[in-house]
Amino acid sequence: MKLFKRKIDTLIAVAFVTFKEWGAYRTHSMVSIFVGPVYFAAQYYIWTAVYGGSGELNGMKLAEMIRYFGASALIGYLVMDFAAWNLNMLVESGKFLTFALRPLNHRFFAFSQKAGHRLLGFVLEFIPCLILFALLFKVDMRPAYAGWLLLSVVLAFLMNFFVNYCLGMFSFWFVHSGGIRMVYGLFSSVFTGMLIPLVFFPKPLQVIQLFLPFQYTAYVPVMVFLGRYSLGGITLPIPAIVGIQAVAVMTVFVISEIMYRAAMKRFTAVGA
Amino acid sequence: MKKLLAIYKTCVKTALNRAAAYRLNFILSFLITLGSNILFPLVTILIYNSGASFPEWDFYEVLLIQAVFTLSHGLAGIVFNEVLWKTMLHIREGSFEIVLLKPLTPLFFLISTSFEPEFAGLLIGGGVMFGIAAAHTGIASALAIGQFLLLFAAGFAVMAGINMMMAATSFKWVGNSRIPEIFESVKNFGKYPAAVFPQIIRGLAAFIIPVSMIGFFPAGALLGRLDLTAFIAILPCFLFMLIGIWLYNHMIRLYEGVGG
Repeated sequence: MKLFKRKIDTLIAVAFVTFKEWGAYRTHSMVSIFVGPVYFAAQYYIWTAVYGGSGELNGMKLAEMIRYFGASALIGYLVMDFAAWNLNMLVESGKFLTFALRPLNHRFFAFSQKAGHRLLGFVLEFIPCLILFALLFKVDMRPAYAGWLLLSVVLAFLMNFFVNYCLGMFSFWFVHSGGIRMVYGLFSSVFTGMLIPLVFFPKPLQVIQLFLPFQYTAYVPVMVFLGRYSLGGITLPIPAIVGIQAVAVMTVFVISEIMYRAAMKRFTAVGA
Repeated sequence: MKKLLAIYKTCVKTALNRAAAYRLNFILSFLITLGSNILFPLVTILIYNSGASFPEWDFYEVLLIQAVFTLSHGLAGIVFNEVLWKTMLHIREGSFEIVLLKPLTPLFFLISTSFEPEFAGLLIGGGVMFGIAAAHTGIASALAIGQFLLLFAAGFAVMAGINMMMAATSFKWVGNSRIPEIFESVKNFGKYPAAVFPQIIRGLAAFIIPVSMIGFFPAGALLGRLDLTAFIAILPCFLFMLIGIWLYNHMIRLYEGVGG
């Protein structure tokens, strides 16, 4: 219990400092207030034209599609992550040594940093864009199941962090892990469902996504927001897909734990 | 002019030699650029595969717009992409004096030392897309090729202007790596048939921030689907580039040398 309280205190302290630190560079986050609605406007008009007179495409109505893109943009602000880049930079420069010497697990420190950074994102990106989507584009941004959505977003937040941290840990072996990050980024941009709902992909590709981490960071929470989930011809009730998402997060957590222990043994503090 | 061309030629040779020296990094970057390029028309492919379409535009016509957009992007990437990042780095580190002390105009020095062969991946990918699309749509006439080249040059001027403006912004907005996102979001309106967007956005995309000239108008020329708007929009494109150059040179005055 004492350990848990200490962890929470540390998390709050690091998150608060990160919030204040990035708050000084708030315009960096506030770029989203322009970029988010502009991207959304493009999607809005493109999909309105594409739907034309047709009622449904791959089981989605136009209003649902617009809500899909609104929710995916907003959820993107909540779960965005840069742990891989940050860890890569620390290992490459040798600065990771300063963290290795601290009586604190770096993964937990990085997680606390992300919490603070995304709290700032919530204030400066999520809320303004939510207001703009609702007022300017008259999009109904009320979730179908608020409780399940909250849980799914938290799981997506964790999933994105653990995956990115694992990618960053490749630096302990390869030093320059930028290429791995770029390749992951390439696949992630397509298969998270941010670009287009995954139900538009050929069926075999949809089925593969059930076993990969990508959909759990965006597509799943967005579908929970819409109130129904289907992929690869499989339709699941919301509690079931959120449960699967939780199992996926646990799996990636275990992988990251194994990698972290191996990485700590390998770290030489030399940098590149 | 001859001297400037000789300097640019030397810088290009140096960039190519550097790419040859670090060939693994070059090949990786090249392949990733090529890979991301393959993904660019993905949304269009998936839309048409699902049985939907953009009204009055078939798949290969839309692909042609996106191929031309990619070609313009690739060409501008080779020539200008690094200008923003180099300017931003110098300003953040307070080392822009190194550029100011050179016996050349700062903008020319940065452009000539920013040649980036990795972006050839975009040119090749765009070229393949262009070939596939044009083979299906056909080209309206010989005159259409001339019109295409003129409009493509205007689109390249827009890309140059955008790059200059982004770099100029970094003098005031120190170290903001999200500046390109602002312009990237606006460029979305040049990747699709203009008829998709409302009149006001079409007007803005044709004359104010003329992103329609990057992809839509030149492709429209090849397809014989142009109206007078495209030709009227040529002048704003070159004006846009001149404003970009003027803005960059103006913003240099704001440089304080303190980093950030």
